[in-house]
Amino acid sequence: MNYPGKKTGKPLCISKPRLMDIQNYKVEDIICNESFQRYCLGSNKEDIQFWENWIKDNPLQFAVISEAKHIFSVLNANQGNLPVQLNQLKDGIIRFEMLKEALGHTTYQHSEQPAQTRQTTHTQDPETGTRYIATGNHQPPTRRILKYAVSMAASLLLVLSAVYYYTRPSQTIDKAKTKATLAGTVIRSGNEPRKTVVLPDGSIVILRSNTTITLASDFNLVNRELVLSGEAFFDVTHHKDHPFTVHAGKINIEVLGTVFNVNAYPANANTETSLFRGKVAVSKNDHPDQKVILTPNMKLILANETTVSEPVKHNPFRIESMAVDSVSHKAREIAWVRNRLKIEDESLLTIADKLQKWYGIEISFADEQVKTYRYSGTFESETVVKALEALQLSYPFNFQIRKDTIVISK
Amino acid sequence: MNEEEQNILYWDGLRKGDKQALFQLYNNTYFHLVRFGLKISPDDELVKDSVTQLFLQLWDKHGRLNEVTHVRAYLFTSLKRMLLDKLACHSRTDAAIIKLQYKEEDVELSYEEIIIRVQHDDELRNKLHKAMEQLTPKQKELIRLMFFEGLSYKQVAEQTSQSIKTAYNTIYNAIKSLRTILK
Repeated sequence: MNYPGKKTGKPLCISKPRLMDIQNYKVEDIICNESFQRYCLGSNKEDIQFWENWIKDNPLQFAVISEAKHIFSVLNANQGNLPVQLNQLKDGIIRFEMLKEALGHTTYQHSEQPAQTRQTTHTQDPETGTRYIATGNHQPPTRRILKYAVSMAASLLLVLSAVYYYTRPSQTIDKAKTKATLAGTVIRSGNEPRKTVVLPDGSIVILRSNTTITLASDFNLVNRELVLSGEAFFDVTHHKDHPFTVHAGKINIEVLGTVFNVNAYPANANTETSLFRGKVAVSKNDHPDQKVILTPNMKLILANETTVSEPVKHNPFRIESMAVDSVSHKAREIAWVRNRLKIEDESLLTIADKLQKWYGIEISFADEQVKTYRYSGTFESETVVKALEALQLSYPFNFQIRKDTIVISK
Repeated sequence: MNEEEQNILYWDGLRKGDKQALFQLYNNTYFHLVRFGLKISPDDELVKDSVTQLFLQLWDKHGRLNEVTHVRAYLFTSLKRMLLDKLACHSRTDAAIIKLQYKEEDVELSYEEIIIRVQHDDELRNKLHKAMEQLTPKQKELIRLMFFEGLSYKQVAEQTSQSIKTAYNTIYNAIKSLRTILK
């Protein structure tokens, strides 16, 4: 018989084990321990505390614990962790209530589409007004409130889909009302070198300066469509039922779940789509059925009509390898977004400040103690989320993305 | 007070707009709902999302909720309806699947089917299938009660009329043999 108790002559170790005993536990012993099981499920505070502390104090046992957790989760059919799930619900309710407030509010202006954005919003219902957000440091305070409200409303579409779309499709009045209110949210980077936004579906977009993104009015409800003017880097979350489509100039880019960069400043001679991971299909507006599938590390170039010479007209698309920098061996296409961060024993507060400046997204702390965590290392990352995830690996903390702010907590 | 009596209290609190009551009800019913959902669809993300949506929906219409005497049963029914709607919506292109979905609506997936189908990695699925085949029916049953249904050793022992010690040893040996194959 193999229970740990027998070997040592102690009773069965099914409830909370003695600290010193766990060192000698095999993976099986840990999985079979009730306290460990409750920790995995997150169903008991005391057990969570106990195992978290133990794991922290015994970094050498990391592999053993990981295997035990993995097997537990397999046998448990990934039922999830109660506190994690509860936090999602709480987060959902907070967003939902903010949305309700936003919908009940009447002080936001519905501005007509400004002339310069008309060309980029051609997929939209002309009857729904376009509301836009401008960024920059020179705004009067009222604009800031508008910005807050609109971007927040955009981030709430997810909850909308939960509450209205799936469960009450018959209540068209509610749906129509919310649709009209959220129609055509516009995000602008203004003069900032980079501006990071997290879309309602969790996808991350980094806008280069003077770039505009217009979300379709039903973004994330039926599909995920947006119009881009300028240059942006996309890290799209995979969602097989809601295709992600970027309309840029004369082309449409269909995405499954991937990382890519689109350079589509109206003033430029070419529209360039560079793919880093995953797969995208690119087609022209006037030939939606002719799709070009792009594979990673390739870029597709479309010459804008005004600059096109005769032979090019017959074969408008050009595919090239991405330009690799001879020194860094990194693609030049995303040099503007890739951040090489060198940290030498710096506090998370300092690091957050750097990240905030580079990626153009506000980072705040929910917790004083986390600010003092110290990190060292050099890493490169394309998005602020990747950067934070890299830091988490070296010493864990949590972060949440709310609206256009990232909140770091213990 | 048993769980269901607590649930009724929380339900009444929820109807009065007490957010804490909603969270308490969630804590009390989450694992029951997820387990129930997994028997309908082995897509664990879909199931977990649906449970969250169900509670968001409850919060949204808390003022219009009726008195309910069987809270858990009410939640089960709501979750089931939501899941079947979504599954039908997801497979709109595949008429055959919809048929299957609705015809066999009452057929629950077995524990073995669930834990294998939840995994996305083919290699792991194969290994898991092999590993489960090695177990005796008794071992499988105890593993299910402990890891899927979330029972304690005491409860497992009571349900299977054996001692805690025997239950522990059966599960321990099962885990040991699973682990060698899953490695």
